[in-house]
Amino acid sequence: MRGRPLVRAIRLTGLNIGQLAAAVFFGALTQAASVALAGASAWLIVRASQMPPVLSLQVAVVGVRAFGITRGVSRYIERLTAHRVALSGMTNLRVQLYERMASGSGTGAATFKRGDVLARVGADIDDVGDLVVRGIIPALVAAVLMIGSSLAVAAFLPLAGLAVFVCLSVVAVGGPLATFRAARISELMASAARSEVSAASLGIIENASELRVSGQLGPAMEALKTHEEQLTKATDAVARPSAFANALTEAGVGLALISTLILSAMAWRAGALTAPEVAVIVLMPLAAFESVAGLSAAAAQVYKSRAAATRIVALADAGHSPAPVGAAPAPAIRQAPDGVLEAKNLSVGWQEDRPVVQGVALTLAPGQAIGLVGRSGAGKTTLLTALAGLIEPQAGSVTVGDTSLGNLTSEARAGTVAFIAEDAHIFATTVLENLRVANGSLSEDEAVAVLRQVGLDHWLEGLPDGIGTLLGSGADTISGGERRRLLLARALVSQARYILLDEPAEHLDPAAGKHLTAQLIAAARAAGRGLLVVSHQEDTLAGTDHVYRVDEATMTSTGRT
Amino acid sequence: MKPLDPRLIKHARAARSYIVLTAVLGVIMSVAVVFQALVVARLVGTLASGGELTAKALKNGLIILAVIVAVRVAVAWVQERFAHRAATNTIAELRGAVIRHVVALGPRFEAEGGAAKAAQLVTRGLDALDAYFARYLPQLLMVVTVTPILLVVAGFVDWVSAIIMFATIPLIPIFMILIGRLTEAYSARRLKTMAHLGAQVMDLITGLPTLKALGREHGPAGRVRELSQAHQKATFGTVKIAFLSGAALELIATLSVALVAVSVGLRLQAGHMALVDGLAIIMIAPEIYLPLRNVGAHFHASANGVAASNRVFDLLAVPAPADGTRAAPDLTKASIVFDNVSVQAPGRDYQAPTGLSFRLPPGSLMALTGPNGAGKSTAAAVLLGLTAPTEGRVLVEPGDGGEPIDLAQIDRRSWWEQIAWAPQRPVLLPGTVLENLLESYDGEAELTPEAEAAARAASFSEVVAELPSGWRTPVGQGGIGLSVGQRQRLALARVFLRGEPLVILDEPTAHLDAATEAQILESITELGRQGRTVLLVAHRPALVSQAHTSVAVESTAFSEATP
Repeated sequence: MRGRPLVRAIRLTGLNIGQLAAAVFFGALTQAASVALAGASAWLIVRASQMPPVLSLQVAVVGVRAFGITRGVSRYIERLTAHRVALSGMTNLRVQLYERMASGSGTGAATFKRGDVLARVGADIDDVGDLVVRGIIPALVAAVLMIGSSLAVAAFLPLAGLAVFVCLSVVAVGGPLATFRAARISELMASAARSEVSAASLGIIENASELRVSGQLGPAMEALKTHEEQLTKATDAVARPSAFANALTEAGVGLALISTLILSAMAWRAGALTAPEVAVIVLMPLAAFESVAGLSAAAAQVYKSRAAATRIVALADAGHSPAPVGAAPAPAIRQAPDGVLEAKNLSVGWQEDRPVVQGVALTLAPGQAIGLVGRSGAGKTTLLTALAGLIEPQAGSVTVGDTSLGNLTSEARAGTVAFIAEDAHIFATTVLENLRVANGSLSEDEAVAVLRQVGLDHWLEGLPDGIGTLLGSGADTISGGERRRLLLARALVSQARYILLDEPAEHLDPAAGKHLTAQLIAAARAAGRGLLVVSHQEDTLAGTDHVYRVDEATMTSTGRT
Repeated sequence: MKPLDPRLIKHARAARSYIVLTAVLGVIMSVAVVFQALVVARLVGTLASGGELTAKALKNGLIILAVIVAVRVAVAWVQERFAHRAATNTIAELRGAVIRHVVALGPRFEAEGGAAKAAQLVTRGLDALDAYFARYLPQLLMVVTVTPILLVVAGFVDWVSAIIMFATIPLIPIFMILIGRLTEAYSARRLKTMAHLGAQVMDLITGLPTLKALGREHGPAGRVRELSQAHQKATFGTVKIAFLSGAALELIATLSVALVAVSVGLRLQAGHMALVDGLAIIMIAPEIYLPLRNVGAHFHASANGVAASNRVFDLLAVPAPADGTRAAPDLTKASIVFDNVSVQAPGRDYQAPTGLSFRLPPGSLMALTGPNGAGKSTAAAVLLGLTAPTEGRVLVEPGDGGEPIDLAQIDRRSWWEQIAWAPQRPVLLPGTVLENLLESYDGEAELTPEAEAAARAASFSEVVAELPSGWRTPVGQGGIGLSVGQRQRLALARVFLRGEPLVILDEPTAHLDAATEAQILESITELGRQGRTVLLVAHRPALVSQAHTSVAVESTAFSEATP
């Protein structure tokens, strides 16, 4: 069902119907004032030309002025009410999404696999908000206005009312249909061409020096030009239906004008209409087309928001995915268990029946350090996510002592196993708070000490407020190496019994990477924690007790000689 | 913000013809609006004033109206049909200009982060110009065509109404500017709060996997709600102010139309005016304000486009390093001398390399060694003439005993013609493997014995053997990717094939297993045997040991936190 994600996303916003109705009311009032202004002006002028006493024109004069003012004022109120309802919907949507994802059984695989989706969720939420302001409200307003203005004309001359309604309907249906077609073509052709152009442009910019030196810049620019031509072709294909929609509006206006002229001329001749009424019937409907013409833009917004709504609904569902059949009951154990971390016959993956890694057997005792190597894409990170109890195994078990990680509350689980992902998030808060997420009771002095330990002392000295410095969102203010070190510091302060580290040496100088990993191993041993380090470079794992190898979806124990 | 940037017209040919087309369409539209108003006014006016509207007059009027409607339909169609193409072509022209300029600016600009910004600009940033061209610009041109033409016509029909409109139109920009000025500081503050709160909420949502991994996901739920509500409030506050100027525009426009109608009505009642004129005026009046209202409606959509084009012109204004004019000496005979060369690390307070001096005689095999970040690759870029030294110089001593020439004075093209360079991640262009080896992409590439020999010498033959369609396998954008190690071997095969006297290899064995590494080392020895000058950027001891001489590259950076 095409519309479903939209409906469901709108439901997640808990849209306030009263506020929505108010926005539609003021929107319709704005447009109605516009139509009434045209009608009242026409009546006033024709009636005035018959030179009646001035007093008899007073009502029309006041009406014309009032409609002029009403239009301006109610337009402002409409925009405000529309934004109010959309904004509160977006707030609800954010909170709903967060709560659903957070409270999900802790095994919502999608929440972990979809870093890219999460990264764009902000823009997606905005798109759903735009759906309300630019899609739903204008559509409802146009519907009200179409019926209202047709009825108003029909009050003078029913047949003219019908003609106006038909013309408005042609625009109201044809415009959005053409727009949908344009959007589909754009999605099929233009976005493909656009990404080709982007890739070719990036290719040239990234390899600029080499292309210049080897004299290959010419062919590369030629290739880009070919893609640009494709894009122009695609743009033309998109422009055709949208040009049709544009032309259709003009045609609708023209048709309404001509048909009301003919009909009212005939009715006037038959004596069914007075002269001012003729003017009203001919001139008033023209103003009604402004809001109907806006339906094409509304349709474009609906199309645009649909993709966003689909992603948002998928995220919300992922958080609430029902537990697999035969799974353990809801997490209950609040106490972090003692004992050895053990994986038996473990199979894990993101899609059902498609395990990334299977048949894993692994033990990690407190005070022990083990390594996990394998080429990139072998499933090392997936395995870690399962060992941390963050995704449910597809087969086999992960236990500490005799307790399955799945039976722990999330706090107890985190107290047992801490997983420091390679792409873990640096929060837009202070350096200190970024360490405290791993250990709430960390003191400032301890934090400084641990930052020194990971080689961030120079960096720390350069920060304006030291450990209290706010980091930017997404941490674009720190370099890849600094980020990595900060995450290692997080691992060092964690009080969990087992620490799982993903690629600690990535983005670091090889020597520095080895050194830091060795430090982490020593620190974990000293504190009696179990440490598992994942790397694609085996030489960083010197100092571990044992090295496992993940390859071709299975795991072998290579031991250490 | 300038409404129409003259630089845009100067740089983009596609924009010029589009602007002319749109202006012409604006004039045609004005004529259509005027005729429509006059014809309808005549028909309705004749009816209403009790005049005899003959069937013939009605028929003629309707025929003219039908023609006018057809013209309006055509104008609307043409406008939309070509707006997006003009936008696409203008964007393509600007994109080409940016890319060519970024290429000319060289690796230094890239290291300073300029290339990343340019990349953002050419991939997404410039797309904002579409709304500018397709929506905003046509309306802006209507304001300077339709509005004045209709105003003049209105003056002929009824000068009193024309004066009312002439007096009220300037009020629109005046009020908008006034409101904008008065609320500027307030909205800037609001916008900042709003952006800040929004970023904080999104930060928690995007950081949720991390919070979950650390068992901290429940605490911030309340914080998300608080921040979201604060963000909502801040946004609503911003919106209230931001919509004020739009409201002023709408109010002045509609109120003016109403004033015109009332004034016309009262003069008609007094018998000072003809009904047909009055009707024509009230039909023309809203059309005079329409382009202004549309400009207001699309103003914000256009702002992103204007910002994007500003960034383009700022980037194009960055001066490119000058090229030399002297022809390069023959590198089979010339020696290259680095004389105390230092390069300031971009945006940092250290030099990498610092004080680098060496002499590279023809036919030598030399390795540049040193830790990460010492400036080995930068030294190679200096030798290539891509990066200018901040201190010191590079001299080229012609073998015939002529005067040494500073590299800066040498014409780059003649220099590069004699150099084969394989960077760490050699590029693949869209085409077949063979085309990439031969660097000829016209679809007529033929495998020659020389090419095969070069592939063998670089151990690239075995890579080709494993590809699905061998030499005809499409690679690069849209084709399959080769690994970095495979690409390095391809680059090496090119080096063998083209036979330039100077060869620069940047970490040619970095991504290879031991067996392949051994083959590559053998290839490098072979290059030496061919009498070619080889400069290696080397990390691995096996590679360094291959060179006859090695030079340590140093930087003045703080040493990494190594033991």
